[in-house]
Amino acid sequence: MSDLSSRIARGVRSRSATRPRPLFRLRQRTNTRLWGVAFILPAILFFAVFKYGPMLWAIGLSFTSYDMVSPPRYVGLENYASLAGDPVFRETLINTLVYIGGSTALITLVGLSLALAINTRVPGARHCMTLMFLTNLMPIIAVCLVWRFMFNPYGLVNQLLHVFGAGRIDWLTSSATVMPAIIIVTVWRFAPYFMVVFLAGLLAIPSDYYEAAQIDGANAIRRFWHITLPQLSPIVYFVIVVSGLLCARIFLMPYIITDGGPGNATRVLSMLVYETGFSYLKMGRAAAISVVLFVISLLFTVGQMHFFARSEETFE
Amino acid sequence: MIRRHAASVLPGLIRVAPLAALTFLFLLPILWMTTTSFQAGDKMFKLDTEWIPAVWHPENYAAALAAAPFARYFLNSTIVSSSVMLGNVVFGTLAGYGLAKFRFPGDRIVLLAILGTLMLPLEVTLVPTFLVVHALGWLNTYQGIAGPLVIDAFGIFLMRQSIISIPSDYIEAARIDGAGELRILWRVILPQCRPALAILAIFSFRDSWDQYLWPLTVVTVDRLRTYPLGLVQFGQDYGNPPTEQMAVAVMATIPVFLLFAVLQRSIRRGFGLSGLK
Repeated sequence: MSDLSSRIARGVRSRSATRPRPLFRLRQRTNTRLWGVAFILPAILFFAVFKYGPMLWAIGLSFTSYDMVSPPRYVGLENYASLAGDPVFRETLINTLVYIGGSTALITLVGLSLALAINTRVPGARHCMTLMFLTNLMPIIAVCLVWRFMFNPYGLVNQLLHVFGAGRIDWLTSSATVMPAIIIVTVWRFAPYFMVVFLAGLLAIPSDYYEAAQIDGANAIRRFWHITLPQLSPIVYFVIVVSGLLCARIFLMPYIITDGGPGNATRVLSMLVYETGFSYLKMGRAAAISVVLFVISLLFTVGQMHFFARSEETFE
Repeated sequence: MIRRHAASVLPGLIRVAPLAALTFLFLLPILWMTTTSFQAGDKMFKLDTEWIPAVWHPENYAAALAAAPFARYFLNSTIVSSSVMLGNVVFGTLAGYGLAKFRFPGDRIVLLAILGTLMLPLEVTLVPTFLVVHALGWLNTYQGIAGPLVIDAFGIFLMRQSIISIPSDYIEAARIDGAGELRILWRVILPQCRPALAILAIFSFRDSWDQYLWPLTVVTVDRLRTYPLGLVQFGQDYGNPPTEQMAVAVMATIPVFLLFAVLQRSIRRGFGLSGLK
């Protein structure tokens, strides 16, 4: 660090001592700009090949019938029309939206509650936070297998409920409880991550706000409503958008825990993309389902960019 | 003295209890996984979970490793995830630096275009990405499994946000001092963003370590399978006890937890949690 500051001092001195000629400086600036572009170029090329290219390709493919054997055949809107009339697709779309809505709401609620609990700064709170964060790092395949066993009629979940006098619930075989079960796993997995995000937001609220409120005699509930929540609202917005994006792409949890069942009760769009494309080799139809999934993600991304633009304004 | 000590500890314990209980509840599945991996195969669904096995069965681990080529699967996953982590750290830093500290025409559009890729996860672009990898001749190769994950907008954005708060005077001074651009990145920028690098490292490693759908799509030969594919197959094959599946799950969990333990301090600083004692 001292090395750095001495070099900065030297740099400042040499700047005032020998001013480079204007022409030289202009050339240097262009040169620097080129370096900036060079740093970003690998990422741009990569995204062109692996993100934007495939997306355009998917949109194109969605107007064709393609089985990877014979070349794609243009069919216009046929894929979309047949999806609109397909009850399985409709059920899958509704499942996906219900799943996103339920998970996002609960992740936000539980994540915020956990952050508030940690922020009480009881002894050991930091260790509790670290331990809870482990749920976010456990391999997702392990998460799915463990919870599938735990939701077994004789598994740990029912054993715990039994202690509280509840009857046996057939979590994964009843269409009423299976989606809540998947949402419970999702919240368990992601809420501790967003707890950390919320906590960072809580720590950034100036403590004089609370001190002033306390002097004015505001109780804890009023302090929460009038200081914490308004100060935290950008973070709440961020968490909803990001967790919505995460949930839109969900695949493994329903795939491993229920395989989409019972019936189609937990089949989600990403599962339908995989089955349609790679089990039935209907690439055009699979691409059309991808486009629907893309539109859902797009809504959340627009939300995220809106958030980003707002936070940049306050930053500058 | 002793009484005063007891008097100060007891209320403390009562205050801690609710949060400790909540933490314990969150940890239950991890504890259950661990204890089950040491149980006898038929103990799985006895009505009471035996939290501490009466008889320990560490041979579940050896049995699982012998029943399927998990050593190979873990090696494959390690190769792929390490490459993905390295790619994200290197290219995330480069692009993040470029976006944070350089102005050029269209820089804002580039930034939004990169952020926009967040709406294009592999699950959305699965079919055409498969066709791209197929066209490159990368089916059933490591570069095919790792390729589409090597750069991610999350990392670029994270590094940009971290670098943008480094005073530009440092860079300007080093430049006037005659330092080359790469040298500035290495000596001035990198030492200042260790916390962001730690977060990027753990999350990019975990994301790749977790991948299932993508390897499932591009890998058809057993010797290139990653461990999640192997584990699911292992569970579907008849006669493999769940206790051995849990043993593999525990083995899969250890590397990520270890990485977290090593980077923990930087990660906490990176999240802006250093205020939490």
